[in-house]
Amino acid sequence: MEGFPFASVSMLLPLVGSLIILFLREELSKWVASVVSFLVFVLSLLSLLFFDFSRAHRVQFEERYTLVPELGLSFHLGFDGLSYVMYILTTLVSLSAILWSTRDHQISHRLKEYYIWFLLTETFLIGVFASLDLMVFYVFYELTLVPMFFVIGIWGYKLRMYSAYKFFIYIFVSSLFLLLGIVSIAVVHYRQFGNFSFNYFDLINNQYSLEFEVLMFLFFLIAFAVKTPIVPFHTWLPDAHGEAPTAGSVVLAAILLKMGTYALLRFNIGLFPEASVFLMPIMVLWGILTIVFASWFTISQSNVKRFVAYSSVSHMGFVVAGMFLLNVEGLRASITEMFAHGLTSSALFMMAGFIYNRLHSFNMQALRGSIKFMPVFAILVAITGFSSMGLPGGSSFWGKFLTIVGAREYTLLLAFLVVVGAFFSAVYVLYLLKTLYLDAKEESRLIHFTDLRGFKLTAFLLMVVPMLMVGFLPFLFFAFYDPYIQNFLQYLILKVGG
Amino acid sequence: MEQFIRLELPNLQLLLPEMVVLLTGFTLFSLDLLQRRINHALAVSVSLVGYLIAIFLLVFNWGAKGETFYGLYRRDEFSSLMQAFMLLLTLLLLGFTYTYYKSKRSLFGEFYYILNFALVGGMFLVSSYNLVVLYVALEAVSISFYILTALLRSDFNSKEGALKYLMLGGLSIALASYGAGFMYLYSGSLDLRYILTHVGQNQYFLVLGLVLFLIGFAIKIGAVPFHFWLPDAYQGAPTPITAYMASVGKLAFFAPVVRLMPYVQEHFSYAWITTVGVISAITMIYGNLVALVQKDVKRLLAYSSIAHSGYIMAGISVSEVIGLKAVIYFLLAYSLMGFGSFIVLALLEKVPGWENRLEQFSGMRFSAPWLAFSFMVILLALLGVPPTVGFVGKALVFMALSFEGLWWLAFIMIAATGISTGYYLRITALMFMKEVNGGLGLNASGLERSLLILIAVGVVLLGAVPIILWNFVSLSADNLFVR
Repeated sequence: MEGFPFASVSMLLPLVGSLIILFLREELSKWVASVVSFLVFVLSLLSLLFFDFSRAHRVQFEERYTLVPELGLSFHLGFDGLSYVMYILTTLVSLSAILWSTRDHQISHRLKEYYIWFLLTETFLIGVFASLDLMVFYVFYELTLVPMFFVIGIWGYKLRMYSAYKFFIYIFVSSLFLLLGIVSIAVVHYRQFGNFSFNYFDLINNQYSLEFEVLMFLFFLIAFAVKTPIVPFHTWLPDAHGEAPTAGSVVLAAILLKMGTYALLRFNIGLFPEASVFLMPIMVLWGILTIVFASWFTISQSNVKRFVAYSSVSHMGFVVAGMFLLNVEGLRASITEMFAHGLTSSALFMMAGFIYNRLHSFNMQALRGSIKFMPVFAILVAITGFSSMGLPGGSSFWGKFLTIVGAREYTLLLAFLVVVGAFFSAVYVLYLLKTLYLDAKEESRLIHFTDLRGFKLTAFLLMVVPMLMVGFLPFLFFAFYDPYIQNFLQYLILKVGG
Repeated sequence: MEQFIRLELPNLQLLLPEMVVLLTGFTLFSLDLLQRRINHALAVSVSLVGYLIAIFLLVFNWGAKGETFYGLYRRDEFSSLMQAFMLLLTLLLLGFTYTYYKSKRSLFGEFYYILNFALVGGMFLVSSYNLVVLYVALEAVSISFYILTALLRSDFNSKEGALKYLMLGGLSIALASYGAGFMYLYSGSLDLRYILTHVGQNQYFLVLGLVLFLIGFAIKIGAVPFHFWLPDAYQGAPTPITAYMASVGKLAFFAPVVRLMPYVQEHFSYAWITTVGVISAITMIYGNLVALVQKDVKRLLAYSSIAHSGYIMAGISVSEVIGLKAVIYFLLAYSLMGFGSFIVLALLEKVPGWENRLEQFSGMRFSAPWLAFSFMVILLALLGVPPTVGFVGKALVFMALSFEGLWWLAFIMIAATGISTGYYLRITALMFMKEVNGGLGLNASGLERSLLILIAVGVVLLGAVPIILWNFVSLSADNLFVR
């Protein structure tokens, strides 16, 4: 099993699944999709047994198929500590989202297409995290747009078409800069080494002048800043997340945003270390500003889905700020927060979708006190909320705490700024929880609400249990990426020189 | 000119595909002449057999390279590749024409042999450096296109388009031949390679000649500001012919420019880069902006075709061999995508009451799912979403621009692609996200369905496995780029 091609098999399975769905009856599609995503999840868990954690900085489960030798283009897949975490997150969230969809009222028509798009998304997402060839990465990065475009546009709520356009155009246009950046550094590689290559491990050998490196950094940043998103570029997100069906929002928030932060860490910092160090103060401050502004935007939302969407932006601020601290704590915080946010935001979107099924409204006012008579649901939402807030024992705690510790290594002021950001993010979660639990409402309607159960409960638990695991057993997760972080920092020191 | 003194037997083996196609044309011509009403099944099968033999000969003699008729004709990888694509696209086209013309009540026997003459002209246009051959071939393609455009005799738009095309096409050929005259004056030769490597006295004649010659071709490929005929001709022409003009026509008219590029680069590198770069920038921005406001999908796609000429020219402006590779790849890619996009309209126009309006695409996913999915793939390919041929083409052009350091053009191309997102997505969204009641009443034969799906699959497959085309493209570009 050492050499088992986990990456390509887990990409192929959903593809095969979507082909099967194409030829089956409409009603069966949800079961095929569930089974396939479950198999992929099991496969990813199985791969844990063969992942060498002590050498997590190395690429494992490596596969390489040459595509165009002359251009140095190859289908190069593999996982190191960082992408492995994202891979597990992808399979977990995809399973959860598909399980949720099987019982979602919004998904009542055109089931075949829906599950085909969803399975394709899973394939593409695994492709994004597994590919080590930048062009192949770009292909998958762009391909995720297509299924999400349709998922938002067909099964979304009222403003679905507008949101789908906005989502596609923002990300497509910004990522053209990424394409330009990728081919440019391939050309630089050609000039310096005499052969074209799009492989990450070839391209890190490039030498640039600082101006050129900053330019390339900006090309990459434009794409990933929109995807992540960082504050002035976030305007597509509330629309896309707000109008998408629940499972769409879940995948968008939990994984698609992580594509941006993952790529920022892997490609922006990895390929342009000098520019990253040069721009580090700006990026950290930008991250903190994102936290603060997004938190304010969050509190002022009246639509609970947009509320959760904006809260995602503020979490991404932590990820970006932590990442660009460029020390052990910062990177740990950043990666842990990526994983944690994937869980909490999914759970919060499921919460919003679940309440919508009961109340047919996303309005915060209408939601007041709505969970009172659903004890299981209420407890799980509480755990999610406190996790998202950063209460010790919750998943986001480590992200926030370690960012503060990492910032303290520079100056006290920076750490203080992060604390301010953390404060604001606590405020909006508390506001949400207050609205859900404590505000009064006539109770006659609420009593009949049935509690979370069956598939939806499973989907929710799939998010909540890992959340608690991150909170209470963080070292389990640090084990994934600590060697990677050590290695990465050593590489940065080697490149930049201290 | 010692080559005129040396007597040489023509190497007809190089010309075999053209001869077969021409022979097919004469057969079709005689068929039309002899029969009072042409038997369409017979005409189609004669064409099919002829083109299939030509393709077979082309593939069988793939290694055949060289010049014959004292350098008038040249077969190399580039011309073989282009001709193979032209023949394949013509074959594909024949799968769609009969039902289309029948629904328009415009079934004429001329169609088959004029199409054939256009093809022959195109095949010669891609395989010569000689000004006279280029001129004759250009005339052959153009005149065939004027007639094909006007072939819907009862349709006013068709005639209007043909007339506009005729006027500007005539102008373009006049300019090109005038330019050719100046180039002859400069060098005393009709061979472009000789003209451009010759060091003569009056450089002005060369510059003037080249500029006029290239403006002639700029009109043909629809570069802004020489594009005015294109939307009308594309809209007015019978839609299968529009598809043909956007695919085979583009290949044919771009080919001499592609052949010229390495030679011109050597002399006027800076002027070439700026001029072609600026024209390409204007073309892609203009084409996409105007396409954005179109309500008529056929016209929209015509403007998208102009924009694509702009992308291709961006590659031509680059002075490195990678630019040529990008151009050839993009040309082939566009010929497939452009063909597919217009063919979709050709199929839809058989529906009574169909006017190519944007709203009419609403809910296409329910009324004709196979067509909607194929069209979606083609539109996304035109937009440049991976892994389609359109994406590979665009990525290669970006690569070439980055190679040359033409950042400003790359940014403009990003902007242009950004604009184009608007209209490609609008059609896609209408097809998939609007739900309307009532069927479309589209009846397409199994052949038409499978051919369209084949085009869509090809668009994805050739992009997902780029090596299939890349090897041919790379080899032909390397051979064109003699320094």
